[in-house]
Amino acid sequence: MSRPTLWSTADMDDDLADAVDAELSIYAQQGQNPAIYDQLGAQIEQLEPLLAIQQHMAALAAVPDVVKSFIVSFHQAILNRDLPSITMFYTTTFPKLTDRFYSRAEWPEPEIIAPLLSSNNATEDQVHIFLVLYRDLYYRHVYSRLQPNIDDRFHSYENSCELFNYLLNSPSSANDESDEPAPVDLVLPEQWLWDIIDEFIYQFQVFCSWRSKVKSKTDDELMMLADGTGVWSSYSVLNVLYSLIQKSKINEYIVALKEEQGKENPRPAEEVAQSISPYTALPLYRTLGYFSVLGLLRVHVLLGDFTLGLKVMDQVGEFLLGGSSFGAKTNKSSFTALPTLPATHISTHYYVGFCYMMLCRYPDAIRTFVTVLNFFQRMQRMRNYSGYERKDQYDQIAKTADRTLALYAMCHSLVLPGSPFTRLDDNITNSAKERYGDQMGRMSRGGSDALVAFEELFLYACPKFINANSPPYDDPEAIALLLNADPADAAEGSSPIPTDPTHRHLRLFLASAGAQSPLPTLRSFLHLYTSLTTEKLSSFLDLVKVNESDKEAVEDAEAEEEAIQEMMVLKQSSKSLSRIVPVQGKVDKGNDASSTGVRAQGSLLAGEMISTSDLNFVIDDNTIHIAESTVGRRYAGWFIKNTERSQRVLDEIRGSPLPRGKIGQKQHVPGAVTSGADAGAPAGSTDISGHKKPPTKTVAWGGAGTRATVDV
Amino acid sequence: MAASWITPPTRTELIENLVSGVDRYNPSNVGILEDYLYHQIRSQEYDCLANLAILKLYQFNPDLYNPDVVINILIKALGASPLPDFNLCISLLDERPPNASLDEPDPLPVLLPVLHGLHHLLYRCRFPAFWRAYRSDQLESLRDNYTVECAGFEDSIREVVIRAVKSTFTRIGTDRLGLYLDLDSPEELKSYIDKLGWTLNSEGTVVNIPANLDNQIEAVVVQESIKLPQLTKVIAQAARS
Repeated sequence: MSRPTLWSTADMDDDLADAVDAELSIYAQQGQNPAIYDQLGAQIEQLEPLLAIQQHMAALAAVPDVVKSFIVSFHQAILNRDLPSITMFYTTTFPKLTDRFYSRAEWPEPEIIAPLLSSNNATEDQVHIFLVLYRDLYYRHVYSRLQPNIDDRFHSYENSCELFNYLLNSPSSANDESDEPAPVDLVLPEQWLWDIIDEFIYQFQVFCSWRSKVKSKTDDELMMLADGTGVWSSYSVLNVLYSLIQKSKINEYIVALKEEQGKENPRPAEEVAQSISPYTALPLYRTLGYFSVLGLLRVHVLLGDFTLGLKVMDQVGEFLLGGSSFGAKTNKSSFTALPTLPATHISTHYYVGFCYMMLCRYPDAIRTFVTVLNFFQRMQRMRNYSGYERKDQYDQIAKTADRTLALYAMCHSLVLPGSPFTRLDDNITNSAKERYGDQMGRMSRGGSDALVAFEELFLYACPKFINANSPPYDDPEAIALLLNADPADAAEGSSPIPTDPTHRHLRLFLASAGAQSPLPTLRSFLHLYTSLTTEKLSSFLDLVKVNESDKEAVEDAEAEEEAIQEMMVLKQSSKSLSRIVPVQGKVDKGNDASSTGVRAQGSLLAGEMISTSDLNFVIDDNTIHIAESTVGRRYAGWFIKNTERSQRVLDEIRGSPLPRGKIGQKQHVPGAVTSGADAGAPAGSTDISGHKKPPTKTVAWGGAGTRATVDV
Repeated sequence: MAASWITPPTRTELIENLVSGVDRYNPSNVGILEDYLYHQIRSQEYDCLANLAILKLYQFNPDLYNPDVVINILIKALGASPLPDFNLCISLLDERPPNASLDEPDPLPVLLPVLHGLHHLLYRCRFPAFWRAYRSDQLESLRDNYTVECAGFEDSIREVVIRAVKSTFTRIGTDRLGLYLDLDSPEELKSYIDKLGWTLNSEGTVVNIPANLDNQIEAVVVQESIKLPQLTKVIAQAARS
């Protein structure tokens, strides 16, 4: 019995109509004749591509015209290697269109827009590459605005692999007979290249954290994960980054640049690049290689390997972080032909500083954070003037800067107060106090409160660590075990080392921070004396302990032992490995030392032990001798600054037009002006016939005012 | 000083290439690095970065995991306190999937908190407590299976003690020093002190520690140094007017 068709199929394609009829009649004849399934199945298979094309054409018609023209011109610009237009399309037009049409939906799929591209006289390869790049933007949009599902994740991985494969391994052009892969003839803006690498790592990180949540997976997902164990594996991610670095020979390039700088007539950077390899000569590869080094640093930190992260930055780190004459200044890019984007600057400093912090090298960490926070504050001020195009990018940078500030606050409290390093930058310390004042107060006081504050800030500011391995999806028994594991059991027999990587690192950090928590109290006692017996010290500490808790007083000898051991910890904490070493000037008999400057070590991991505290002590059997180093009054700088300022004001006044006014009034002038100057009123003296003088800087002795009247 | 931590003089060229290059990710190289670890154990050397390379290989290839190697690495790292080596090693120990294929039960989850505790005691300079915990019955399995193989483990811990003592004291009582070093009899203590080159005072109750950078203190006043270039502007202005 054939069901009457519910609608007329007369105006559709004949084939399509048949296919539709066929599908409907399956429902009519359900379960009746299995052979029919096969026949119909074969028919449908033949017709599927047509169906698909029909669907695509319908979807293409749904795409707004603006978007269509954007895609066509974008493609044209890439074909023409027109960097300024590509940059404009990428940084302005794409986000605008996203906001307007696709803020909650996906961009049209690559297959749908493919027909648009055939009009541009492009070869198939070139169209293919454009689609790869388009997919990169497409998936980035999905990850940032929408929730990617498992298909999206797998496909974005494949797309990234294809892109990198194309960049690294494309065969050379037809004229060149060799088998070696050749550099690709593509030009992309730096911002896009950084976004490619950044997004790649971001997707990897997100995938790893999604992957470790075994319990929330559906059966389908479990199956797909079981099959696709190579997807987003740590090895492949590392492989990509290392290959980019090796291909572009970025480290050799930087070494060559350094050498070049020391010579008499340095060659321009491009020439140096040319001499290393054809890949290095292209800005595309140089930039990618440079960004890959930074990406590698990030991946190592996410996996918990801090020394390796600093090690890969060996060459680049010196260039980026300065500390030598080959240092980074914001407009050095023309000299070195390496890009400097604010996003990379901030991100790199954040990760390097975090590595130093986990290595307990707090002075180095503080220095790194201060550099980048100053840079960010300047950028914030500039933002009002130049108007940052991508607001979402600015937000991301601002978030990283905020976390950097939190890390700075932590390091500030861990480097014992009073050390020369906390006086490094009052500006940053003030902003940190504004934002995290409560936690900073708690952290500097020590005690158990401090640990809570440390934990809060650490969890906020740390990178999102990942597990290198996936849960064993390909082993059904193991997965079943994990799924059925009772949370109550886990809590009972849990080892004190938690398995979640973030908490593991948190515990390690808290252990070293906790060891320092009794120290501020100890320091405060030491400040009061030049020499002290250990008994007295232990009695002080006893008092503190008795005040703090209800424990019965510890025995004297034991208490003394405790005190001495704490002293050793104090001594230990006041020394730290640092990359920048202050060079002491001559010490003469008056025990005056002048710091004549700093000396920086080479690679990021190197350093020497320096003292980070101004309070120095030594124990002589049972007596503690204490010596404090103080900073002499810095009067010279203040005087020079103010002398110059006064001179500037004087010159200004001398140069400004004479005040107009009746002769009679001038007699009043000395009195009026001097009293004005004395009173410190910054308002211009309007009593001289309404002619407003520029507000004079109030100098204490009223010099500017009296001088001016004398000249008149 | 950090230079010798990054590249210990005892590291061979083969290991150097392995650690500094991309080959460190190659799982088939784990045998070489493990052999190097055993070499360190037998000959009292220590190479932190090479050991971290082993842990990283374990991180990426869980089937290579060998708990004995991990425990040995951690024991070696104890001797480097107060440097953060131990913490760096723990950072690389990822979560282990259950029912991993091992012949015997994994001793690591049991020993890890123990080692953690020992490290904490060392970091906080609680040396008598450390020796008490180390000699206790609970740690017998650690002592019998692992530290006994590690040549000079106790000496390396004593070196940690000496580092801390050297920087904090100019003179220290012999009793106290003996307690820190876990050397009970006066003869043992004396021979150890002689080896270090330290001297005893006349009654034999106080040990003199030679002067080094850390235990010489002086009150320093840091003056600012004015250079001539900074004054040029002021002098020029004064010359003009």
